[in-house]
Amino acid sequence: MTWSDFTLIAPFAAAVAVAALVILADIVKPGNRHLALGVALAGLVGVGALILWTGQAPGTAFGGMYKVDNLTTFLDTIFVAIAAITCLFAPDYLEPRGLPVAEFAAILIFALGGAMLVAASADLIVLFVGLELMVIPGYLLAGYHKRDALSTEGAIKYFLLGSFSSAIFLFGLAYVWGLTGSTRIADVAARIGEIVAGQATLSPGLAMGLAFLTTGVAFKMAAVPFHYWTPDAYQGSPTPVTGYLSVGPKVGAFAVVLRVFAEALLPLRQEWVIVIFVLAALTMTLGNLVALTQDNVKRMLAYSSIAHTGYMLVGLAAYAAGVLQGLEGLLFYGAAYSFMNLGAFAVIAALQKRPGVSSRLETFAGLGRREPALGLLMVLFLLSLTGIPPTAGFFAKAYVILAAVQAGGWLTALAVIAVLNAAVAAFYYLRVIVYMYMREPTGEPTPIGHGALLRLGLAITAVMTVALGLFPGLILTSVSSAAQAIGVAVAIR
Amino acid sequence: MDISSFPILSLIIFLPLVGAVVVAFIPRRNLGAIRATALAFALATWVVSLWLVLGFLPGREMVASAAGSFQYVQVADWIPLFGIQYKVGADGLSVAMVVLTTTLSWISILASFSPIKERVKEYMISFLVLEVGMLGVFLALDLFLFYIFWEVVLVPMYLIIGIWGGPNRIYATIKFVLYTLVGSLLMLVAILATAFTYQHATGSWVGAFDLERLAGAGFDGTFQVFAFAAFALAFAIKVPMFPFHTWLPDAHVEAPTAGSVILAGVLLKLGAYGFIRFAIPLFPHGAHVFAPLLIALSIIAIIYGAIVALVQPDLKKLVAYSSVSHMGFVTLGIFIFQAQGLQGAILQMVNHGLITGALFLLVGVIYERTHDRTIAKMGGLGAVTPVYSAALGFFVFASVGLPGLAGFVGEFLVFQGAFAFNPWVGVSVTFVMIFAAGYLLWMLQRVCFGQVSEFLAGIGHHLTDMRPTEILTLAPLGALTVVLGLYPALVLDLITGPVKAVLAAVDPAVAMSIGR
Repeated sequence: MTWSDFTLIAPFAAAVAVAALVILADIVKPGNRHLALGVALAGLVGVGALILWTGQAPGTAFGGMYKVDNLTTFLDTIFVAIAAITCLFAPDYLEPRGLPVAEFAAILIFALGGAMLVAASADLIVLFVGLELMVIPGYLLAGYHKRDALSTEGAIKYFLLGSFSSAIFLFGLAYVWGLTGSTRIADVAARIGEIVAGQATLSPGLAMGLAFLTTGVAFKMAAVPFHYWTPDAYQGSPTPVTGYLSVGPKVGAFAVVLRVFAEALLPLRQEWVIVIFVLAALTMTLGNLVALTQDNVKRMLAYSSIAHTGYMLVGLAAYAAGVLQGLEGLLFYGAAYSFMNLGAFAVIAALQKRPGVSSRLETFAGLGRREPALGLLMVLFLLSLTGIPPTAGFFAKAYVILAAVQAGGWLTALAVIAVLNAAVAAFYYLRVIVYMYMREPTGEPTPIGHGALLRLGLAITAVMTVALGLFPGLILTSVSSAAQAIGVAVAIR
Repeated sequence: MDISSFPILSLIIFLPLVGAVVVAFIPRRNLGAIRATALAFALATWVVSLWLVLGFLPGREMVASAAGSFQYVQVADWIPLFGIQYKVGADGLSVAMVVLTTTLSWISILASFSPIKERVKEYMISFLVLEVGMLGVFLALDLFLFYIFWEVVLVPMYLIIGIWGGPNRIYATIKFVLYTLVGSLLMLVAILATAFTYQHATGSWVGAFDLERLAGAGFDGTFQVFAFAAFALAFAIKVPMFPFHTWLPDAHVEAPTAGSVILAGVLLKLGAYGFIRFAIPLFPHGAHVFAPLLIALSIIAIIYGAIVALVQPDLKKLVAYSSVSHMGFVTLGIFIFQAQGLQGAILQMVNHGLITGALFLLVGVIYERTHDRTIAKMGGLGAVTPVYSAALGFFVFASVGLPGLAGFVGEFLVFQGAFAFNPWVGVSVTFVMIFAAGYLLWMLQRVCFGQVSEFLAGIGHHLTDMRPTEILTLAPLGALTVVLGLYPALVLDLITGPVKAVLAAVDPAVAMSIGR
C-alpha cells in the first residue's frame, strides 16, 4: 500500500467517516438536530472538496481494485450534491412527524459512500460491495416512518425485490467471472473481446451472464418490466426519502451500468444495444402512460422517474451504437434530472410539513395563490421535467436525442419515440400546474413557515435547473471528459 | 452613433423581459402601477421596434444570403461544443412581424386593463414573457435558439388561457399545448438531425445550427423530405392548417380577449413565418415534394373554414373559423412558389393580424357588457351603440376584402398567384370570397341591424357605447388597415428581398423574373 492509495480513497473514506461522526454527534448530544445536521452538511462540503481535489490526479489504488478517473469525479460530485440537498430539505418534513434527523443523515451518508464506491470500482467485487452499501441504507430509509403502514409496505417490497435483483446481478457476475477468469473490469473487457473475436455467435454462458446482469441492473434503475417495486416504495416512503430514492440509487444504478456494460462488457455492445433499445422504448412509454392516470403526485413522479430512466437509456443505446455523445447525454441527463427531481420533491416535502397532509393532487389546488414562491418553483421543476426550454431538462433531452439521431438507423426511431413520450408526459406535469394555478384551494389555507435549510435546498436546485438549461456549457467539459474516461469513440456505421 | 452596431435586436427581445422582472417586484395590491409598468415596457418595445424600421429604408439593403438578407446581426457563442450560437438578425420579413407583434402587444395589454381584475400581476408577467418568446422567434437565426423561443411562447399562452379563460379553459389550454408540443418536439428531432448531418458533412460543429450556413448546404434529397415533414408538421399545427386546426376554435373561445388577439394576431403567424424562414430555405427539395399536398390542404382550409364559419352561433367561434380560412390563403400563397403569391401571403399575415386582432377586440367589448357572445341573442346594436357598430362594420368590411382596406391587397395578390399557378385553383378560392362576404356580413346584419333584441334590451343602461380606452386600442389598427389598404408598398417594399431569397431557394428561375 502506498500513500497514493490513501489519497485516492480519501473522498470515500471521508464519506464513511462523516456518517460515523454524525452518529457520534447524536450519541454525545442526543436529539440535538442542529449539531447532527451541522456535522453532516459540513462533512459533505468537505467530501465534495476532497472529490474535486482527488479528481485532479486520477489513478488506480489497491492493486487496481479502486480507481479514480474523470467519470468517478463527475458521478461523485452528483452523489454528494444529492445527499447534501436531501439533508437540506428533509428536516422540515421529518421533525413534525417525530422522525429522528440525525439517523436519517447518517444512513443517507452511508448510502453516499456506497454510491461513491460503485463509481470508483475497477473490480466487479468492489462494485458489488459498493452496490449493496448503496441500496441497503435505501431499504432502511424507505421504512423510516415505521408506524406508517404504507411506508413499511413500500420498504418490504423494495427490500425483497432489491435483494432478489442483487442476487440475480451477482449470479450474472459469477458467469462473467467463470468465463473470463478475472474480476478486474479491464481484464474482463479484454478477455471478452478475445472470446467474441473468435466466435460468430454468443456462447450460452456469456448470454446467460448478460441476461442476469441486465435483469439485475434493470431492477435497480427501475426499467420496465422490472419496475414494479417503484410506485409502492416511492409512495410509501417519507417524501424526502422518495426524493432521494428517485435520484440517488437511480444515478447509482447508472454508475453500475457504466462500469459493467459500458466498460467491462463493451465488446458485447452489439448484443446489448438491442436489449437497451427495447428496455428504453418500453420504459419511457409505459412509465409515461401509467403516470397519466395517477392522482397522487408522489406516485405520479414515481412513474415519471421510470420514464426518465427510459430517456437516459436512449443515451446508453446511442453509445452502444457507437456515439460517444450518447454517454455524454446520459451523464448530463443524470445531473439535470437529479436537480430538477429533487427540487420537485423538496416542494412536495415543504407542502407536507404538517403531518397528515397528503400528496394527492388536491393538496396542490390553489398553491399559486397560497404560496406564490413555492408555486413558481414547482412550475420551474415541472417544466424542466417536461423538457421545456430554457431549463436543464430540455437540454438533457436534446442531448440524448441528438446522440440517438447521430447513431442513425433504428435509433432515430427511438428518438422519435422519446419526443412523443415527452409530449405525453407534458399532460400529467401540466395537470399539476392546472391544480396550482387554475383551481381554487380546498378548505382553509393555513400558512406554513419554511425552514432556512429548506429554502437553501430549493434555491440550489432551482438555480441549477435554470443554469444548466441556459448555460449547459458550465458542465459540458466535465461531462465530455467523464465520458472519455471510459468511452471509446467507435466509428459510426 | 452607428445604428447597425448597437444590439438593438437584443434590446427589443429582452426589454419585455426586463418589464416582467420589474412587474414582479411591484406589490400585488398596487394594480395601477402593475398595469402602467407593463404598458410602459410594451410601448417602449414598440418604439424601439419602429426605430428598427429606419434601417430598412431603401438603399440600406445588404448582400443577400440564401436565407435572406439580415441586418443588425448579433452573434455570440453560447454552447461552443455544438456550435450553438446566440445569433439574431432581421430582414424585412422579420421587421414586419416584429412591428406587428410589438403593436398588438401593447394594444392587448391596454385592452386587458378593464377585463382582467384577478391576479393582474401574474397576467402582466405572462404577457410580457409571451412577447419575449414571439419576438425571439421572429429574430432568431440559430435553429437551437429559434426552438427555445418557440417553446417559450407556449408556457405563458398556456397560463393565459388556463387561468384567465372561460368556463372550459382547462380543456382548451391543454389541447393547445399538447397539439403544439407534438409538432414542435418532432421538429426538435429534425433540427438536431439537420445539425448533425451538417456536422457529419463538414467534420465540425461550427455553424451546425446557423440558419445562414445551413440554408445553402443542400442536404440529401431523402433527408430533406423527412426533415421538411417534421418542420411542416410543427408549423402546420401552429398556422393551423386543415386538419390540425381543431385546437384553434377551442383556444379562441376560452381565451380572454387579449389572449385571442395575440393568438390570432401573432401566434398563428409563427407557423407561417416558420415555413418561409426555416422550412423552405433549409429543405427546398422537401418543400417541392410536399407543396401539392400543402396546397390542397390550404384550399380545403379556405373553403372549409368559410363554410363552418357560416353556421357558427358564437361570435368568437365565427371569427376563429374565419382565421382558419384566412390563414389558408397565407399557406396557399406560400406554397404556389410565385412572387405575387408569396408577397400576398406575407401581406395577408400582417393584415390578418391587424383585422382579426381588431375583430377579437370588438367581440371582447360586447362580451364585457353582455357576458354573452351568442349571435342569435344580439340585434339592433346600431341603434344602441353607434360607435361600436361603425367600428365592427369597418373591420368586417376590411376582413371581407373591401378594396381600399388592407384585407383586399393581400388576398388579391394571392389570387393573382393562384391563377398563374393553376386557373382552377384560382377560380375555386376566389369563389370562397362569396362565403366570406356571406358569413361576415350576415353576422353584421344579425348583430347590428334590425330591432333591439330582448336580450340586449334587458341589459339596459349597462350596454354603453365604446369607452375612450377601447377606442384607443382600435384606432391604431383601423389607421393601419386604411394605410396598408391604400399604400401596401409600405410592407411590400420591406419584403422584396426576403421574397426573392425564398424563391431563389426553391426555384432560381422564378426569382430571376421578379423586378425590383
